[in-house]
Amino acid sequence: MAVCIAVIAKENYPLYIRSVPIQNELKFHYTVHTSLDVVEEKISAVGKAMADQRELYLGLLYPTEDYKVYGCVTNSKVKFVIVADSSNTSLRDNEIRSMFRKLHNSFTDVMCNPFYNPGDTIQSKAFDSMVSAMMVQAS
Amino acid sequence: MAQCVQSVQELIQDSFVPKVAVLCSEDAQKITRKNNLNFSELLRPFCRLTSEGHMRDSNNQVQVVKNLRISVNNVVTRPSVPTSGVHSPAQRRLLSEVVSASQPAEGGVANVITAGDYDLNISATTPWFEAYRESFLQSMPASDHEFLNHYLACLLVVSSSEAVPVEQFLKLSQEQHMIQHNGEYTNPKWFIPNTLKYYVLLHDMSQGDEQRADSVYEDMKQRYGSQGCYLLKINSRTAAAGTDEQIPDPWSQYLNKSSLQSQVRNPAMPCDESSNRQSINKGLRFNHTTPALTLVLCGRSCKLLDYKGKHSCELPSDKPTRRAKSLQFYTGVAAGTSHGACLTLNDHNRLRLFIQEFTFRGLLPHIEKNIRQLNDQLVSRKGLSRSLFSVTKKLFGGGKVPEKSIAELKNTSGLLYHPEAPELQIRKMADLCFLVQHYELAYSCYHTAKKDFLSDQAMLYAAGALEMAAVSAFLQGGAQRPYPAHYMDTAIQTYRDVCKNKVLAERCALFSAEVLKSQAKYSDAATLLIKMTSEDSDLCSALLLEQAAHCFINMRNPMVRKFAFHMILAGHRFSKAGQKRHALRCYCQAMQVYKGKGWSLAEDHINFTIGRQSFTLRQPENAVLAFRHILTNDSQQTATQQGAFLREYLYVYRNVPGVCEVALPQLPLPCINSSATRVYFGHERRLAEGEKQAATHVSLDQEFDQDLAAVWQDLEEQVVAAANRGVVPSTFYPTQCCLNSQTDNLHFPLAVVEEPIIVEVAFRNPLKVPLVLSDLSLLWKFTLKDFSRPQPQDVMVGDAVTITNEKEAIAPRVRKGKGGIPSVCKFLTFSLLSWQARLKLLPRQTGQLTILGLVYNLASTPSTGDSTINSNSPSVRGRQDLEIQGPRLNQTKEEKTSVSHGPDRRLDPTITPPMPLLEVFFLQFPTALLCGEIRKAYVEFCNVSHVPLCGLRVASTHPDFFTFGSSSLATPLTPLSPTSFENCSAYKTLATPPGATPGSVTAVTLVSAADFGSGGGGVFGTGGKRVAEIPLGEGTLTPGESTQLPLWLRGPDQEGVHEINFLFYYEGAEKGGKISHRVLRHTVFICASRSLSVRATACRSNTLPEEEGRNGSMLVFVDVENINTSEAGVREFHIAQVSSSSKQWRLHKCINPAENKDCKLTTRERGKLCFRATRCKPHEATSKSLEKYTFADLSLGNEQIISSTTPCADFFFRRCQSSESWRPLIAVETQGRHSRSQGAGPGGGAEDITGVVRKCNEVDLDIIVLWKAFVVEDNKQVILEGQLHVALQTIGKEACSLRQKEEAQEMVLLKFKPELPPPMTRPSMEQLSHLIKTNLHYPESYSHSFVQKSLCMIPVILTLSNCSLAQVDAIIDLRHKTTSPESLEVHGSFTWLGKTQYKLQLRAQEVMRLPLRAGFLHAGVYNLGTPRVFAKLADQGAMCETSQQTATPALIIINST
Repeated sequence: MAVCIAVIAKENYPLYIRSVPIQNELKFHYTVHTSLDVVEEKISAVGKAMADQRELYLGLLYPTEDYKVYGCVTNSKVKFVIVADSSNTSLRDNEIRSMFRKLHNSFTDVMCNPFYNPGDTIQSKAFDSMVSAMMVQAS
Repeated sequence: MAQCVQSVQELIQDSFVPKVAVLCSEDAQKITRKNNLNFSELLRPFCRLTSEGHMRDSNNQVQVVKNLRISVNNVVTRPSVPTSGVHSPAQRRLLSEVVSASQPAEGGVANVITAGDYDLNISATTPWFEAYRESFLQSMPASDHEFLNHYLACLLVVSSSEAVPVEQFLKLSQEQHMIQHNGEYTNPKWFIPNTLKYYVLLHDMSQGDEQRADSVYEDMKQRYGSQGCYLLKINSRTAAAGTDEQIPDPWSQYLNKSSLQSQVRNPAMPCDESSNRQSINKGLRFNHTTPALTLVLCGRSCKLLDYKGKHSCELPSDKPTRRAKSLQFYTGVAAGTSHGACLTLNDHNRLRLFIQEFTFRGLLPHIEKNIRQLNDQLVSRKGLSRSLFSVTKKLFGGGKVPEKSIAELKNTSGLLYHPEAPELQIRKMADLCFLVQHYELAYSCYHTAKKDFLSDQAMLYAAGALEMAAVSAFLQGGAQRPYPAHYMDTAIQTYRDVCKNKVLAERCALFSAEVLKSQAKYSDAATLLIKMTSEDSDLCSALLLEQAAHCFINMRNPMVRKFAFHMILAGHRFSKAGQKRHALRCYCQAMQVYKGKGWSLAEDHINFTIGRQSFTLRQPENAVLAFRHILTNDSQQTATQQGAFLREYLYVYRNVPGVCEVALPQLPLPCINSSATRVYFGHERRLAEGEKQAATHVSLDQEFDQDLAAVWQDLEEQVVAAANRGVVPSTFYPTQCCLNSQTDNLHFPLAVVEEPIIVEVAFRNPLKVPLVLSDLSLLWKFTLKDFSRPQPQDVMVGDAVTITNEKEAIAPRVRKGKGGIPSVCKFLTFSLLSWQARLKLLPRQTGQLTILGLVYNLASTPSTGDSTINSNSPSVRGRQDLEIQGPRLNQTKEEKTSVSHGPDRRLDPTITPPMPLLEVFFLQFPTALLCGEIRKAYVEFCNVSHVPLCGLRVASTHPDFFTFGSSSLATPLTPLSPTSFENCSAYKTLATPPGATPGSVTAVTLVSAADFGSGGGGVFGTGGKRVAEIPLGEGTLTPGESTQLPLWLRGPDQEGVHEINFLFYYEGAEKGGKISHRVLRHTVFICASRSLSVRATACRSNTLPEEEGRNGSMLVFVDVENINTSEAGVREFHIAQVSSSSKQWRLHKCINPAENKDCKLTTRERGKLCFRATRCKPHEATSKSLEKYTFADLSLGNEQIISSTTPCADFFFRRCQSSESWRPLIAVETQGRHSRSQGAGPGGGAEDITGVVRKCNEVDLDIIVLWKAFVVEDNKQVILEGQLHVALQTIGKEACSLRQKEEAQEMVLLKFKPELPPPMTRPSMEQLSHLIKTNLHYPESYSHSFVQKSLCMIPVILTLSNCSLAQVDAIIDLRHKTTSPESLEVHGSFTWLGKTQYKLQLRAQEVMRLPLRAGFLHAGVYNLGTPRVFAKLADQGAMCETSQQTATPALIIINST
């Protein structure tokens, strides 16, 4: 389960960022922001020609001492970042993938909302609850 | 990694240089002391060799030594600090000192890196890091596992002035030998047992005997060989002579730094002189040179200085001045003279030559010799033993490796080879080769040594060898050997993990990173550097993190965010290490990445840290700026966090020195929505005063409504036009009392002196914590101008001076010029709310005022959440400016393409001379009325200014709602007329003469419309003028005077709530002021409820005209229905009187059934009244060319209301006005009708038939129904009165008192094409039938004796009257038989006798009688209405139109007798 989930706009500002409340929120902000460099690197590493067939899932972006950071980029260059605890060994690639899929679907729903102004921060209850479901339950 | 001044090769070479020790005799020291230097210091600037050296390696190949540098140091025998692998506190202090001394140059080199959408301004170099590295490398303790910084040679220096210099040499030589071999001193480590001794004879040119020196030198040459000794002549200049001569001082740049280092350095450490780099020295601050100073004063003694001493002797100048100056100062204090004062340039050259000679003739051959020796030893040993040994080790030791390694690991640091151990010899040789730049050989030696050490599990030695192998492989250059990066990694790992020697690991990492950087492997370098960070040393970690950050930004795809993040980490470590300046710099650089990218949490964090660091660094301005950012941004922080930020900000703010003396600083909180600022000119109104109800006017509490503003402007335009004889002056500009963002603010608003200006400022608190504002006041600027003088004198008074608590002294000066400013002092708390403050200014003089902003105290509430405001909670005083941007211009193309804003002069009012000020009060003003109800109220006008007032006018959106009465009729101003009805009737009444029957005409009055329209100019023709002049007594109101006037109100015809706007207009008595007029607004809401509905129809009367004397007579049916729905209120309505008003018609008589005399109508009851109307007398209609109205009153009750006087007639005429203005379409139609009918005179155009026909159907009669309503109100019966108007226009068409239908017709479709004139339709039969009115005149019954005479002949007179104004041809056909079945049933028919067809011509309105005779054969009832009358207009020629007069049955009874 994730400890921090973030959605970042094409222009690299956060649309949504949520972390486990008991932990240091600032740290996660920094982590997610720094991970964008890796995301960019990964995107540019894949050739331009391959950009179309490119898989959205970017895999493990980088591990830190305590966390693993996973990334995913939609076709509209919106980035999803999931930070998971390194100690959580049960989390396999497949689970991460499915989490991203869920996140993407939910994000698509948000975008489909006619009252949502693209580029605004996401303030959707449905999205919130979906994200909470994916987060580590703070005890 | 940031760019360095040195290349990597240079760096490594300079880090490992041959070291030379110095032993000096006392006398020699004296000589050098003259220059304020000791011998090693004296040589230091000249230690880099400019020329190439040569040496032969073991294979006799010539090796070039380029750019060699040697390091000369005094021998210090202090016992070494044990090499523990960590820095001693003193060393740490030194390093931290070095780093903090090196700060980025102000406005120094910064390169802009563009990465993606980031433009970063990053200092390209990091001199503090280089300084750190250099000082770190120099502070490396000499260890046993490597020989690079062991002394290779020793200079023995003896003065020529010595009595026996040779003896002295011997003494020194023995001393050296003792130091090296006695075993007493461990510290100065010597490379090779037989250290090279070089004998230097120092000769003082200014003192000694040169010849003696030469002879001693000759002697020395004999003894030590010419290559082993040197005669150095210095001090060729006398101190006194050469003061004016400017000699370069190459020592200064070395000395202050090296002395700084040496004071904390382990004295036994050979003190390497620093390389020649300006950049570091630039960064040196003067106050950091003070330790150097103390050191110099202490002379050669290298005792550790107490650091506290540094502070005690701190120099007074703490500002970094220019380097030259500071140096001068430094030297001046130190010894009165500069370094090398006794040295000429020639001496410099001699020193240089000496070093060169020493190196090339002494040192290099010595090294060469040693290399050869070592090589020989190694070669001899190699063959058997070593290799055999290693093989056996491999064979037998293989299985035990893990066990052994663990054991080995434990004591690796303890494992020591004997200094002369064979394993070390190869290392020694490698080091020697390395020092003389013979890297190839060095590499192979290191490589071999590494293998040996590894096999011995001597990990420290192995790591050292690995490190140096990698370095020398790198320095070989070319493609001979790839750089073995893994060697480095292994070395670092071993140093750190196995040997626990952080210092060595760090050194190794520094080299490795530098090498990787030079190979553009930034990512590896960064990883390495980050790996090297540890909890042990914050400073080191900070520096390494910073370098890692630089690595990230220098990558091919710059990783900006990683850069930023590591910068922050570095900043964090810097701050932990106490390097506040560096921390601040790091955060600032990182800020560039985070700024404005939406990562608010991170941004806040950085800003907060910057703020704190800036504050501790005494840069409160920057701190305030940073804190501002946190507070102004829409923060996502929690409330407690925000509260903390706020308190911190306030704290910092209060500590900004001198902030309140010059100008108050800008405060960031709360946000002021400048554009929402509203400005109100004038007093705050009292809304009610006792019974009086004041005019609402405009107040700040009202919302601005664009539509309403347009209505008011329209009204004002009308009233101004009325006041200026129908023309709106070009300078007209609508009065705006309350300015806001939507009003037109292009003009300077006008304010009147002595009348307050109220400024409403909208605040918003973006934080989640409450803010406390207090002592709010406005900040303004005022220019005095006297408008009464032709040339106003501009006097600036109190330029932007504010009245603040701190400036009580300034306040009186302001007051003199401007007048008291009541500032609103408030304490308030609010959170996340919008809130408005109203501040009042009272101008006392004329001039130009500019409101600049606000001053207030800002404080936070205590964090306890206590709502009571603690008066001693920290508050700061500051200002915020009000800058209002005008609306965006969008008129011209340029304005559309660019973004430009118009001016907004809301806050720049012009103060004008006094103007009259009107206050209006209403008395007995109702809020609810029945439709058409007449009520009398009073209005009081009061001039509250000191200036007379005149030209009072009023304009209203509903002119038919009120009247002031007609002035010409001399309306009595007394509220009640003596003849009035007992319950204060608004009407003027007369008691009905007792004899008169109700319903008969009692009064006919002729009234000119002008009499009633005079209030607002002509009633008709001006069309929709809604302005009335208010009849003031003398036309002016003197100051303080007030007048009460009666006012009649009539409930609107439409039910519902009506908003009625009054605009009172008035002028000052003096013309030509800045303000031409002033206005006062009043809005009332009247709730109108339904009363009666009156419908009226006019019918042509068929009676003969003669009966009523004139040709015209009509029947008017009036249907009155009580449509009042309020059951409780109105009990019943009485129709008191019906009056008519018309130019042509008048009501004549009531022909109602008589029994319902009083005509009462209870709820939902309908009554019908029938009246006969006649035309007015012809002379009345045409008299005086004045179109006078005839008012006819038909009283149904017992008193007559004089409808031709004030209120009734007023409302009648006002209704006409308004109906015209409200129904422009109809008005046009009416006009068209008039013009057509005029054109249709005799011989008029053929197309005018319609007009002619219509004309004869026109009535134009207005019925006024006056009613009384009996209302129960609070158990009291109240009689209300009212009047309703019905305008009859056409015969047969029903007219209604309500306008609903007509208004529905107003909704005309929008037409985009000009409408074609409607085709001339022929008048319909129906219409034509009205041209001629027929009437049969005959006896109603006739007795005839058919017995006597079978034929009964009865004369019948057919009266034909032409209703139209044209000539009509009529044909009367008598032959026509009735075809209706009823008439057939009639038993007998009759015949017309005589001529059966007549052709007649009727002139306009002519009445003709035609005698006919009818013949009857039987008795019975006959219908005589059979004659057919065909009419056509005489001038229609062929277009003969016929019409049938639909005859009413004209029955005649023929009796037979």
